Amino acid sequence: MDWASLAEWTLKSFALIFALLGGFAYLTLFERKLIARFQVRIGPNRAGPFGLLQPVADGIKLIFKEELIPAQADKIIFILAPIITVVPALVIMAVVPFGPPIQLFGRTISLQIIDLNVGVLYIMAIASVSVYGIVLAGWSSNNKYATLGGIRSSAQMISYELALGLAFTGPVLLTSSLSLAEIVEAQRHIWFVLYQPVGAFIFWISTLAEVNRAPFDMPEAEQELTAGYHTEYSGMKFALFFMAEYIKMIAVSAIAVTLFFGGYRGPFVDQVPLLGPIYFLLKVVGFLFLMVWVRATLPRIRYDRLMAFGWKVLFSLALGNAMLTALGVLLADMFQNSLWLWSIPVTTIAFFLLVAYLMRGSIAGGNR
Amino acid sequence: MSVDYVLFGGLALVTILSALGMLFSRNAVYSALYLIFNFSTIAVLYLMLSAPFIALAQITVYAGAIMVLFLFVIMLLGAEQRGQAVRTWWMQPLALGLAGILIFEAIYLIFTHRTSFPPLRQAVGDLGNPLQIGEQLFSNYLLAFEAVALLLLVAVIGAIFLSRGRKLR
Amino acid sequence: MSEQMILTQTDLAERFPGKVRRDERKGYEGYIVEADALLQVAQTLRDEMGYDYLSSITGVDYLPDGYMESVYHFYRTTGGPALVLKVQTPRDHAVVPSLVSLYPGAEFQEREAWDLLGIRYEGHPDLRRILMWEGFAGHPLRKDWREPYYEEDAKPFKSRWPDGHVYRIEDKNPFHKNVDYPPDFDPDQWVADNDAALYASLAKIQSTLDSSLKTDTVIVNMGPQHPSTHGVFRMVVLLEGETVRALKPVMGYLHRNHEKIGERNTYIMNMPFTDRLDYLSSMSNNFGYALAVEKLMGIKPPERAEYLRVIMAEFTRISNHLFAIGSLLNDLGAYFTPMLYAIEERELILDIFEAVAGSRMMCNYFRFGGVARDLPEGVYEKMRDLAFERLPRRIDELDLYLTNNEIIRARCEGVGVLTPEQAIAFSASGPLLRASGVPYDIRRADPYSIYDRFEFDVAVRYHGDVYDRYLVRLDEIRQSIRILQQALRDLPQGPILAGKPQYQVRVPPGEAYGRVEAPKGELGFYVVSNGKPNPWRYHVRAPSFVNITALETMAKGNKVADVVAILGSIDIVLGELDR
Repeated sequence: MDWASLAEWTLKSFALIFALLGGFAYLTLFERKLIARFQVRIGPNRAGPFGLLQPVADGIKLIFKEELIPAQADKIIFILAPIITVVPALVIMAVVPFGPPIQLFGRTISLQIIDLNVGVLYIMAIASVSVYGIVLAGWSSNNKYATLGGIRSSAQMISYELALGLAFTGPVLLTSSLSLAEIVEAQRHIWFVLYQPVGAFIFWISTLAEVNRAPFDMPEAEQELTAGYHTEYSGMKFALFFMAEYIKMIAVSAIAVTLFFGGYRGPFVDQVPLLGPIYFLLKVVGFLFLMVWVRATLPRIRYDRLMAFGWKVLFSLALGNAMLTALGVLLADMFQNSLWLWSIPVTTIAFFLLVAYLMRGSIAGGNR
Repeated sequence: MSVDYVLFGGLALVTILSALGMLFSRNAVYSALYLIFNFSTIAVLYLMLSAPFIALAQITVYAGAIMVLFLFVIMLLGAEQRGQAVRTWWMQPLALGLAGILIFEAIYLIFTHRTSFPPLRQAVGDLGNPLQIGEQLFSNYLLAFEAVALLLLVAVIGAIFLSRGRKLR
Repeated sequence: MSEQMILTQTDLAERFPGKVRRDERKGYEGYIVEADALLQVAQTLRDEMGYDYLSSITGVDYLPDGYMESVYHFYRTTGGPALVLKVQTPRDHAVVPSLVSLYPGAEFQEREAWDLLGIRYEGHPDLRRILMWEGFAGHPLRKDWREPYYEEDAKPFKSRWPDGHVYRIEDKNPFHKNVDYPPDFDPDQWVADNDAALYASLAKIQSTLDSSLKTDTVIVNMGPQHPSTHGVFRMVVLLEGETVRALKPVMGYLHRNHEKIGERNTYIMNMPFTDRLDYLSSMSNNFGYALAVEKLMGIKPPERAEYLRVIMAEFTRISNHLFAIGSLLNDLGAYFTPMLYAIEERELILDIFEAVAGSRMMCNYFRFGGVARDLPEGVYEKMRDLAFERLPRRIDELDLYLTNNEIIRARCEGVGVLTPEQAIAFSASGPLLRASGVPYDIRRADPYSIYDRFEFDVAVRYHGDVYDRYLVRLDEIRQSIRILQQALRDLPQGPILAGKPQYQVRVPPGEAYGRVEAPKGELGFYVVSNGKPNPWRYHVRAPSFVNITALETMAKGNKVADVVAILGSIDIVLGELDR
């Protein structure tokens, strides 16, 4: 451990955190602008050209807002909760590679904070603890809406983590590695989404639930729970929750891109390494666009339906997908022919259609 | 090596303190939080033993999933304040007795086998590697693995049955 | 059955001799029933004569004559005119038997009459104040009750008229000099009771819950500050997990005693005041009030005015339903997109209102015997374009995007079911009633204005859930477009007002109940005149208020999230609910 690599780590970490914070600020503007277009409106355009200073204005407003702590709240946890929410959101990106290694000052610098050999598991671990902030915020506010929001989110997280974890197994099996850098490298020729269409679909849906985005935004369901777990929060503490939500959006999009859409891979990346981060960014923005689109379009699913969907449909699909993927990899191994990998999309899609047929009406259909 | 010892000492202290905090806090939510903290420090201990897989599994499973359920139940029951617990006369003597046996065994082992402990890294070997763990589970420990899987399946089915039973009636 | 239906109104007096007599006062109709016979008579009406729908309950304080009257309007859901019952009771001991056991829909209306007029309904299960707060002294609609800064019984107040030298009595008369406290009341010692009565009635329900697993219940106050109660409405919900076990609506946060102000106003001054009831559909409010007063005056508007009225009322219905659908989707958690798409069309309709009436929302367009202004140039073409071209297309588009959406169906189907029997018993009206399979539309059942000339279908659906209420609204928009097309085609030329425009109308003594099929349901105005320039009694039978009676029944057993959807599907407006 020499000083140069320590400095490199530090710099990379700071760069990542600043990128995420800036990304958060402009993601809010991105979302507001987009939703406005979806709704035949113009959106924020007062602060700066095209409203570009809007996030700054929002930030200043939130900083100067009065912060209220309810009299009956548990003060320590009430203050701690927003921090507990933000930290996992910030650190989860540490294992995601943004680009190929580049040469700088005579050093080879990998565009990744750290290449853990259990990177996928690291993501799972951080994702599983990220719920605490929300749960504790809900509990410590001493408010019934907040408590309901907290309880909802804990149940929701546990339910969707299973499907999420099983969706991770697809790329892991295909690469036989838990390292994200190796997973990206394995997608040099073909994106895993082609081998894993169902896996990517499951991953996408359960991440929507994990980051509490519409139509799974139960913990803060405005119409029922006013604002759910952050009902009692104001000022910067509220902003922290907001920040965590948007950073998580960026993080899960980045992870989805890494696992299923080739990460930073794209044409000419090997020749011009700096193209890597650009491709990566474009792909992430594509996913963020999808999330905003879904929010602008769909109503919210009811809570009990959400749980039923998670356990009955998504979980069984994910189990089947994991098994069929393993089978495909095994066949390819046995016959030493990677063409057998193409059995995975065929069988998993067939399985998907079967499950969809069996479950028709039981989730989405009415109960009359 | 000395850095490792200092790290270990600090972590051990934090682990013990958080365990004590869990035992002595009056509020069940705080107890659960201390326990989560405790699990996380133990995960770091695993990390020091070069077993990242186990460390992260510890966080995912214990600090993540299981403790969320704990908190969930505590919040749902509104049981965060310690009420009048049911005390039985044999509880304290039993706990003290068991703790005494444990402490005695630990001290005995430390003093008698002091020299025969292998160095840490060797003892753990390559067990931290997910590949190794997988191979071990599916060869040497296959029976135990399958038995545990069966046990969990039974538990799951039982849980489903219990929660359905109310509707059927 | 048919023979029973033929039983004419004269039979009632013969059937209960000594208990029921015809109301012989000039300008009045119906029967006066002795208080002790009311339940019996109502039972006969409901079970034998087919008057299954208790539309309106209110009271009148006849101070000079020294008695109070509780007035009931019964209808048949098969159609036909009203049967009016009245119960007279002394002012100092006003007690009337409650009809809640026969007509559950009477619950809130009786509470309102108790609250505002002090008529005690014996046998009412939960007779608390409803619009005023618990602890309010007196009953404000009694004629001898006076507000702080009381000036006179009737407007225009001398202090503000004529010659424009306005002084306000509150400037001359500081607040505390004008407040009467009851003799045993000390404001410094007073503590609010924090809804003790309300929570007591919930605790009663809580204790009766039985469940095999020992579960805990929690009381959640949804509102008055809550994003999806459509205003300052409050629901106190008893939850078991997320399932609703009991629900008590609490209202009155927007109460301004509309009726008392209305009785101070002159007749024409009330016309713009009705705009403030259901502020989303002010034209319909105008319509109902104009009908009631025209009935008293015995005049009819000219042809062109009738057509204009129908056109405006139907445009109002479309804009209201668009708003209702949009906000229902919002309540389901769609992030404003359907809402904004629906409002886009509403804006075009409001453009027309602005052109003809000068205001987009507070239209004040109707006059007794006609309408205020004729169509300005170019508006007719705009209306034609909307009714024939744009609206049908946009409604189809809305239908296409929303109706078969999986999540919407999952959230709405089978949620908040109201059976036809319940719907009638709860005096539900409008889309709420018709979605439950009761094809009762006042435009058909008891036609007013010129609705008997148009060809349209009464929209009706049969499941009685949130989804059907949504569909009924969509159907009604289509039917309204049909009516609009016919009305625009046939719109004649001619005068728009019977007689000259006048600021003061002469209304002969008597009573009248004018009701219209407002977008939200049956909107009725019960007006009593004593020949003076101001109405003696001015009562609004607000559809939002009466429809909310069924809320608890619909919400029980559903999830919290559904309560919001159910409330959205009733389509309430607080301006009308709280009055």
